[in-house]
Amino acid sequence: MKKVLRTLGVLALGGMLAACGNSSGTTKQADSSSAGESQVTESKSADGVTNVTIWSPTDTAAIEAWWVEKIDQWNKENPDIQVKREAIDRADAYAYENKITTATTSGNLPDILYVDGPMVSYYAANGITVPLDSYFTADDLKDFMPSTVQADTYDGKLYAIAPTESSVALFYNKDYLDKAGIAYPSDTDIKGAWTWSQFLDNAKKLTTDDYVGTNIIMDKGEGIIYALGQFFTEGGAEFVNEDGSKADGYVNSDASIKTAEYLNEFIKNGYANLDPVKDEFLNGKAATLLGGSWNIADLEKSNLNWGVSYFPVADDGKAASPTGDWAAAITRDSKNPDAAGKFLQWAMNSDNIASYASAVAKPASRTSAYDKMEGWDSGARALMKWQLQNTGVSRPRTPSYSVLSTDFSTAMLNIFAGADAKEELDNVAKNFDENYEMYYK
Amino acid sequence: MATLQRVNKKGKKEYSDNLAGFIMSSPAIILLVAFLIIPIIYTIYYSFFTYQVVRPDNIKFNAIGNYVKLFHDENFYVALKNTVYFTVIVVPVQCTLALVLALMVSGKKKGVAIFRTLYYSPQITSMVIIAVLWTILYNSNANTGLINAFLKSIGMQPIDFLNNPKTAMNSIIFMSAWQGAGYQMMIFIAGLNAIPTEQYEAASVDGADWFAKLIYVTLPGLINTIKYVLMITLIQAMKLFTQPYIMTKGGPRNATKTLVFYIYEQGFQKGNFGYACSIATVFFIIVVALSIIVKKISKTN
Repeated sequence: MKKVLRTLGVLALGGMLAACGNSSGTTKQADSSSAGESQVTESKSADGVTNVTIWSPTDTAAIEAWWVEKIDQWNKENPDIQVKREAIDRADAYAYENKITTATTSGNLPDILYVDGPMVSYYAANGITVPLDSYFTADDLKDFMPSTVQADTYDGKLYAIAPTESSVALFYNKDYLDKAGIAYPSDTDIKGAWTWSQFLDNAKKLTTDDYVGTNIIMDKGEGIIYALGQFFTEGGAEFVNEDGSKADGYVNSDASIKTAEYLNEFIKNGYANLDPVKDEFLNGKAATLLGGSWNIADLEKSNLNWGVSYFPVADDGKAASPTGDWAAAITRDSKNPDAAGKFLQWAMNSDNIASYASAVAKPASRTSAYDKMEGWDSGARALMKWQLQNTGVSRPRTPSYSVLSTDFSTAMLNIFAGADAKEELDNVAKNFDENYEMYYK
Repeated sequence: MATLQRVNKKGKKEYSDNLAGFIMSSPAIILLVAFLIIPIIYTIYYSFFTYQVVRPDNIKFNAIGNYVKLFHDENFYVALKNTVYFTVIVVPVQCTLALVLALMVSGKKKGVAIFRTLYYSPQITSMVIIAVLWTILYNSNANTGLINAFLKSIGMQPIDFLNNPKTAMNSIIFMSAWQGAGYQMMIFIAGLNAIPTEQYEAASVDGADWFAKLIYVTLPGLINTIKYVLMITLIQAMKLFTQPYIMTKGGPRNATKTLVFYIYEQGFQKGNFGYACSIATVFFIIVVALSIIVKKISKTN
């Protein structure tokens, strides 16, 4: 009864807002929350069969089919551990997280939960997920990308495991570079990558009345810290300290302020749009693009004359690149964590990761999986893989990540709109430290 | 004896009438209690606690701590100011627009039904879709944004509508009034139809022109409708959320951060559940107080 009341409490905010009207945003929240309430996670049934439930966001048709096939196979081979998955719609960026929040309150979390990479620390620090160290040995982890292990580890323990990764590189329009008399940057040697100065200089040269020099805004939410965050790493700045407990002196350091000001040069001078239209690069409205591994397929299908190079490097040669993807975790509400762990061991083996990554057309998180995947030996895909193995850095790991991400993107957007960089980043540091102190000290 | 019996009978009848009434309204009452009254009580209750949203096991009572913090919170005042600004501008603009539209399409002129439908159509489209469309219309790049393409074609400088703190809220106000006016227009049309035609005929006999008719017949006849429309527009305006959420994410530089957006940001994005509840409580009090004041004022007139 107490749990029901608590769930009602979490619904209360939504309810109060909904009470005053019908804005679609709040209705959506209410919907996802009430779905969470009706969720029942089954455990051991009378006949000795253990049930394991998985929650993950609804995905493309190919991945949905992968799940059906794999779960079918597992259930046939393991009559004592029956797995079922529920695809949860991710209507907007936070609908899925809101559902997890509600389920946490009512104690109805599934056994296995997929969470976004940078949120691993948050769920771990709040005791929502449990360590996976007993299911994945240090030897297993050697096969995983360094950034995958880094992102999925909190406080020295592995709390999640991701089947796929992501990376960001610089795509360019060959025709436009030719027109501006700019040589193509290398896609086989990082020494031939554009440096910050070259990137800015070329963006300026490439900007015309018909198209802009580059596209650096992926989206105005998580995309800011994800795609632009590694410029800060290259610029010698860090977002938070080693254990993720302090941001003051890090996110607002001189190096950080300089990086923010550098990025603003693109927006301020009109070399990049703050509100790029969808597929700006694909439609020839931008000469270059900071694009992800997921952009490759569309580019290959188009008749654009494009090329790819490394994520721009600092003038002193320091290189970093964005990484991260959704990862599977086991929750504290799981009645049979060992059964869930067994399933994860199997689902995350090299073969399964290879077929999963192929289905979703993302880089795999295991090095050995690439031997079983086609198309990753050359071109843009090989470059992404190389970046993951050599320059990939995970986003900051801290339980207060959501505060950091939200405030950092707000700060960057404000800087792009003309605000003072130091003032804005000071504000991020202040809010972060306040949040960490309130809940985690 | 006889009288006593009658009273008893009557009493019993009243009681069973009441019971039937209760039973018939119970679905509505149960829903109201479950989804409105209890949530409101819980919101107020949790506003006195430090409550990180995924740690219901670790709720700490902090008395009026959240409220003390709230009254020192710069962002709260910014959000309050933005909400008030939006309301103060959008209510008269939207209602006037609705009234003008209603006057244009009321009566039995040829083709009027088409225009009525056209003016009403933004209302039946989801606000999310409209907000996305207007984000593109407002795009600062003349290659993309239709409005800036037009400005460019007549030789004007492009305006960065949504990324400039000075124009962002006004841009949202304009599109909100455009979207919302159709609904109020329909109510005004109903109000206009309720004014007896004899009054207009009498005014014509007295030699009144259209303007005199508007001032002396139409507006007095519409007064109750106007009061109602003002009230609902006011409450709707106070809870502005979708437009800034989709179009500006509350920015640039907090220029479009409204109270409801701030509640969402604190509660759901940052997980400060107790604090969000305290903002929601203050917001609730403001809206209730405003409704009472508006009702009082409209009654005295």
